[in-house]
Amino acid sequence: MSTWKEKIKHANSRGDFAAALMLLPSVVLLAVTSIYPFFWLFRYVCYDYNGFIAYYTGTHNFTRMLSDTTFWKSVLHTFEYAGLKLIFILPLSLLLAVLLNQKLRGSSIFRGIYFLPTVISASIYSLIFSFIFAVFNGPLNIALQNLGWISKPVDWLGDVNVVMFAVVIVAVWGGLGNYMILFISGLTSISEEVYESSRIDGANGIQTFFNVTLPMLSPVLKVILMLAITSAFKDYESIMVLTGGGPNNRSHVMFSYIYKLIFSSTSTPQIGYATVLSIVAALIIGVITAVYLFLARKLDDVI
Amino acid sequence: MKKRLFRILLAATVTASVLVGCGGGETKTNTPTGGAAPPAEGGQTAAPAENLAASGDKIVINYWTEDRHDMGYFEEKIKEFNEMNDQNIEIVLTTITEDYPNMLAMSYSSGNAPDIAGIAGATTGFSLKTFAEAEIIAPVNDYIKDEEFEKVTEASTQIVEGMNAIDGNVYWIPTAVRSGSRIIYNKSILDEAGVTEYPKTVQELVDLSKLITEKGAGQFYGMGVTSSSPLVRWMEGSAEMSGIYRYDYENGKFNFDGYKDIITTANQLFTDNSIFPGSATQGVDAMRAQFTEGTFGIWANASQEAGVFTDQFPITKFDWVVEELPTMDGEVKGTLNLMTQKGYLLFSSCPNKDAAWEVIKFFSSEDFLKGYLEGGYALPVSSYMTERVDSTRTGRLADFALKNYEGVYPSIPAITVEGDDYKAVLWSAAKGEIGVDEAIADLNTRYNQALDTDVSMGKVKRVIIKNFDPLHPNDGTVEYLDK
Repeated sequence: MSTWKEKIKHANSRGDFAAALMLLPSVVLLAVTSIYPFFWLFRYVCYDYNGFIAYYTGTHNFTRMLSDTTFWKSVLHTFEYAGLKLIFILPLSLLLAVLLNQKLRGSSIFRGIYFLPTVISASIYSLIFSFIFAVFNGPLNIALQNLGWISKPVDWLGDVNVVMFAVVIVAVWGGLGNYMILFISGLTSISEEVYESSRIDGANGIQTFFNVTLPMLSPVLKVILMLAITSAFKDYESIMVLTGGGPNNRSHVMFSYIYKLIFSSTSTPQIGYATVLSIVAALIIGVITAVYLFLARKLDDVI
Repeated sequence: MKKRLFRILLAATVTASVLVGCGGGETKTNTPTGGAAPPAEGGQTAAPAENLAASGDKIVINYWTEDRHDMGYFEEKIKEFNEMNDQNIEIVLTTITEDYPNMLAMSYSSGNAPDIAGIAGATTGFSLKTFAEAEIIAPVNDYIKDEEFEKVTEASTQIVEGMNAIDGNVYWIPTAVRSGSRIIYNKSILDEAGVTEYPKTVQELVDLSKLITEKGAGQFYGMGVTSSSPLVRWMEGSAEMSGIYRYDYENGKFNFDGYKDIITTANQLFTDNSIFPGSATQGVDAMRAQFTEGTFGIWANASQEAGVFTDQFPITKFDWVVEELPTMDGEVKGTLNLMTQKGYLLFSSCPNKDAAWEVIKFFSSEDFLKGYLEGGYALPVSSYMTERVDSTRTGRLADFALKNYEGVYPSIPAITVEGDDYKAVLWSAAKGEIGVDEAIADLNTRYNQALDTDVSMGKVKRVIIKNFDPLHPNDGTVEYLDK
C-alpha cells in the first residue's frame, strides 16, 4: 500500500499534473460551449418558449414531434442528402487525392485550386451558385443547352424533383478539397517500399490501388468516413442560402428546419419545440455514428 | 525538473487567461419581468428632462431601423438635429438589415438594446405581444397626449388593438402608411402585345400573362414573382378586395375556404408557364432588377416600388404604369389592407425616456414628415399631414395614392401555428405543389387548433365582430372572448 504522498509524488513524476492543467482550458471551454448548452436544451422541452416567456405545455412538444410530417420528411431528406453527398464526394476526393499525389508537374497548384472552396464561406459560394443555377440566362442552363443535353432550362432550385441534386452539387463542390487533403495526408504516410515491392511483383496501377493503397489507407479512411458522415448529416448552411428549405419543404434537412423554427423571420420563435427536435436530431446522428463505428471496427485491423 | 516546472507554469497561465476571458464578459442578465433596468451604454446616467440641457455630456439616443430606402433622408435630418437641438441630445442611427425582430430581442437580452427602434405594421416576425409582455418596450400612453404630436399624427385615432396597442397600453403610433398592392405594367411590352385595357379580373390578368409570354417568345415573359413573401405581392390583396379574408370575424375563427377560386385561377400562371422562368426562387431585388431590364411585363407590389423604380433600380428603358389589383369578378367587395409605417418603439431599458421621446417627437414632427412624405418615401397617415403634403412633389408615389377601399383590418389573434404559415401553404398550392382542397383543409385545421390552444392557454383572446362589413372592417362592435 502506497501512501498518498507517494501516490502524488509518483503522479508528479509522470507529469499527470501538468497534463491535467494543460487539459483544463479545453475541458472548461468544452463544458461552457458544448456540454452546458446541450443540457440547457432540456430546460424547455415541456414549454412553448419564445425567448422571453415560457408557457408550460406538458407533453405537447413530444406529441407534436411524432405527428410533424414536415420534420420526419426533413429527416428523410437528411438521409437522402447525406447519402448522395457521400456517394459522390468520397470516391471523387479519393480519386483526386491519388491523382494529385503522383509526382507530377503542377500538382501542388491543382491541390491549391481544389482546396480553395474549403476556405470560402459556404454562404458566399452558395449565393454564387444561385446565380449559376438561374433559369433565365443562367450559365449552367446555357452550357447544358449548348451541349444539347437539355432542351429547355432546368429550374434547379425551384423544381421539387431536381432541387436535391442541385443542393448536393454545391455540397460536393464545397467539400471535395477538404477530403482530398485528408486523403493526401493519408497517402503520404504509406511507405514507398510497399509500392516498390508491388511493382516488382508486376502489379498494374489498378491492382496497386485496390490491393495496396486502399487497405493501407483504411485507418485514415475510417476517420475520414466518420467525419464525412457526421458533417453530411449536420450540413444546412448552403441549403439555407440556396433554397431556404423550399420548394414546398423539399430541401429541408433536420437542422434547416430547426433553424427555421427558432430564427425564422416570419414567425415568433418556437424554442421549446425546436429543442425537442434538436435532441431527436442529435440522437439520430449519434445512433448513425455508433452504427458506423461498429461496422467499421475491421478497418483498424488491416495493419 | 526545470522543464516540468515550465510546463506547469505554462499550463497555469493558459488556464488562467481562459478563465479570466470567460468570466470577464457580460455578466449582467436582464430579467424580463420587473428586474432592474439595465445600465445605459457608454456609462450614461439618467437625467430628468428639465436638466437635459444643463448637463455637460451629450445624451446619446440610439435609434435602430430596418428601413434602407429612406436612409439618406434620415441621415441628413439626424445630422441637422444633432447640430441644432438645444437639449443636448445626439441621435445615433443604426440600420439593421437582417432578422430585425430577432436582433431587437437579442440586443435586449444581452443588455445592448437601442433606446428607440423603428417599427411598422408590416414588420415581419415582430410580435408586439411578446415584446410587451416581456416588458422589453415601454407604453407611451402619457407621451402621446402631447398636443403638437396629437395634432400632426392624430395619434388618438391611430390606435389599433393588437397592432400598436395591447390591453389599452399604446406602444407606437404610425406616422406614415404604405399603400396596398398594385400591379405595375411595362407599357412597352403591353403595347407590343397590343394590349390597351388593363385586367379587371384575376382571370384577365392570368390571360394577359399568357399572351405576353407567347408574344415574348423567350425574350420577355408575362408576370414575375419572387420567393420573398410572394403571396402578399398581389394575390392576398386581390383576395381581400374580392371580399376573401383568412379570419371569419363574425364567428371568431380562421376560414380559408374563400381562397379556393383565386388559387385555382392563379395556378394557371404556372401550368401555362407564363411567369418569368425561375422567378419563384429569386429574391425580390433580383426580380426588380429583371423588371427594370424589361424581361417581363407584369410586376406587383405596394407603394415602396415608387422609390425602388426611381432610385434603387431606376427604370429608364420604358414607361411603367401603376394599376389597381384585379378582383375575382371585377368588383371591389372588401377592404385592401394597408400597412402602417414609421412608428417608433420606446425600449423599457432606455435610461433617458424623456430625451428618447424628444427624438420620437422630432421624427413625427410636421417639418420632418413633410420632407419625408414629399420625398416620396411613404404616404401620409393623418388627415393633417395629407392636407400639408404637396402631392405634385411626391414623384411616382402619386400613382400609388390611397383608394377609398383601402384600410386597416382589425388585428386578428397572433397565434403560434405549428407547421408552415398560410402564406407558404397557399403559395405552394398556387404553384401546384399541393392540391388546393388539401391546402385549405390543412390550414383550416391547423389555424383553428392553434387558436383554440392559445385561447385556452390564455396567450391570446378570440376576436369577434358582430355585423362585420368587409368594406368597412372597423365599423362593427369588437368583442374579446376567453374561450
